[in-house]
Amino acid sequence: MRHVATSSEVGRLAAPIARGLDAAWQRMHWWVATMLVLYTVSGTTIVRPDEVAIVLRWGRLVGDTAAQQEHGPGLLFSFPRPMDRVIRVPVKRVWEVPVTALAPAAALDDEPMSSSTLDPLTQGYALTGDRNVVHVEIVARYRVRDAAEWAFYGPQSDNVMRVEVTAAVVRSIGEMGVDRVLADGRKDLAATASRRVQAGLDGAHAGLELSSLEFTRLMPPFALAADFNAVQSAYISAETRRKEAQAFAGTAVPQARGDAETGVQSVRGAAEGDRARADGEAAAFLALDREYRANPAVVRERLYRDAVERAIAKAAGVRWIPPPVNGRYSGFRITLGSGGPARAGFDDEKP
Amino acid sequence: MGDPLKTQRWLRAVVGTLALGAIVFYAMAVVVREGQAVLVTRFGRPLRVASQAGLHWKLPWPIDDASLLDMRRRVYETGHTEMLTRDKKNIIARTFVVWRIGDPLAFTQSIGKEEAAEGKLDGLLTNAAIGTLGGHDLSALVSTNPADLQVDQIETELLTSAAPVARRSYGVTIEQIRLERISLPEENVRAVFDQMRAERRQFAAKFEAEGELEASRIRSEADLEAARIRAKGAEEQARIRGKSAAEIAKIYADAHRINPELYRFTRSLESLDKLVTGNTSLILRTDSEPFSLLQSKEKR
Repeated sequence: MRHVATSSEVGRLAAPIARGLDAAWQRMHWWVATMLVLYTVSGTTIVRPDEVAIVLRWGRLVGDTAAQQEHGPGLLFSFPRPMDRVIRVPVKRVWEVPVTALAPAAALDDEPMSSSTLDPLTQGYALTGDRNVVHVEIVARYRVRDAAEWAFYGPQSDNVMRVEVTAAVVRSIGEMGVDRVLADGRKDLAATASRRVQAGLDGAHAGLELSSLEFTRLMPPFALAADFNAVQSAYISAETRRKEAQAFAGTAVPQARGDAETGVQSVRGAAEGDRARADGEAAAFLALDREYRANPAVVRERLYRDAVERAIAKAAGVRWIPPPVNGRYSGFRITLGSGGPARAGFDDEKP
Repeated sequence: MGDPLKTQRWLRAVVGTLALGAIVFYAMAVVVREGQAVLVTRFGRPLRVASQAGLHWKLPWPIDDASLLDMRRRVYETGHTEMLTRDKKNIIARTFVVWRIGDPLAFTQSIGKEEAAEGKLDGLLTNAAIGTLGGHDLSALVSTNPADLQVDQIETELLTSAAPVARRSYGVTIEQIRLERISLPEENVRAVFDQMRAERRQFAAKFEAEGELEASRIRSEADLEAARIRAKGAEEQARIRGKSAAEIAKIYADAHRINPELYRFTRSLESLDKLVTGNTSLILRTDSEPFSLLQSKEKR
């Protein structure tokens, strides 16, 4: 009896709700059915080309390995919330974070700071291994490597990237001398720092992969810029002097080689000429000898007279004197002129 | 077509069951996502911690309450702290930690809010850094000699020093402690600048001197090489001249040996030819050739 009374009491209280439900069903049954269908397919997700999707079912990651957990681009069917939750991770996209913790504060607006000191709280810098100071500005590029780790366990990407890069660069610069850092060691610095950044990211379970580390600014303090430039100028000047000396060497040696060769060729030519002349003269002498053996007196006379005639013809003057009396001359003088021909004559001659 | 009354009853039952089920589910179910944990309390008393992702149950509020905790790793950078190294050098160091909630119950009891954790860590880390770096020279942090560097060891010491305290006191697990920045106090930077300036001047002078020395060396070597080449050329010229003179002497000797008397005669005539020039005055006796011819005619 009590049970019947209770049931009828509930029925009486629920009657208005039941009537409202009945009326709604009469008028909106298609609309309700459509909403149910839409809710059922609401778990369907489109995964874009640069993304992978991971599915949480009642909060737990679906799949044991990365291959099972990650769903590539395309249509992904899952149960509607609250049962499933799809998280899309842009694993192909490369993110970029500027690291300015080691740059001077004014570097960002390009106003040179030439103070004779640096406040470490406001001015960023790194100490080199030989305890010099350099300013560094870096851009780190990275992407997501492990979607699940990045999405659920890793620290905030930009934060972890910024501090890992700063720490890695500070440590790497702290192992190198300032001249290596600023000149020929940049490549090594980037390689060492990159390796350390990746090790740090792995240690922090960030699920990130460093794509590149670019030093956009690596320089001495502004206050020392002139001193560093002076070293550069001295280096260039020394290089110029060395190159000038090399140019001199490049000219002097070939020139000496040319001079020597020219001299040798000249002497060789002269020797050839002398030898040819000697051959000719020897041949002439042999010919003369043949004639001389045939007619010695005539040849000798002719040669003698020819020679005397040539001598007389060439001479500035010829003085004929009589033969000496009793083998000696008396009153005969020869006067040597200054710059002119000598004069000869007897004392009793008129000038 | 069925009985409309039956359909109405069936519909009422389904909707009522679903509504009741949904209310019960939301009151009792706790979905713990990956990277989260939940602390369930019963009338404020901690009951259990669910750190495994999945569906967990509790009694409805106000009996049980569930507090979700973010178990992801976080990065925290400490402030800049001035400290003294073992070799009495003042440095300003900054560290960062990668931490996460290791014990949700201890964390909730000792810290409460996640935002408050970093304040607790700052003091802990600063204390650890002062203690650890005080046991190392500055060269353990920055040096060009790899044997001096002990950064890995220092970071391990920092972790060993701070991590157990953080876990025990705050329920925080510290996974990494790294030295982020090492700076010098402002007044020391001035001295570093002076030292750098002096070094630059020294380098400039060194480059100048080395350039001059190198240039001189190159010029000297070139001069020496040129002199050596010229000397070798002169030697070759002398050798050619000597050989040629010997050959010429032989040619003449071979020819003149046939008739030495004729050679002497012709050589005398050549000498005469060479000796008599335009400045020469000849004094000849009238009885010598060719004037003797006239005298002979007179005699005839």
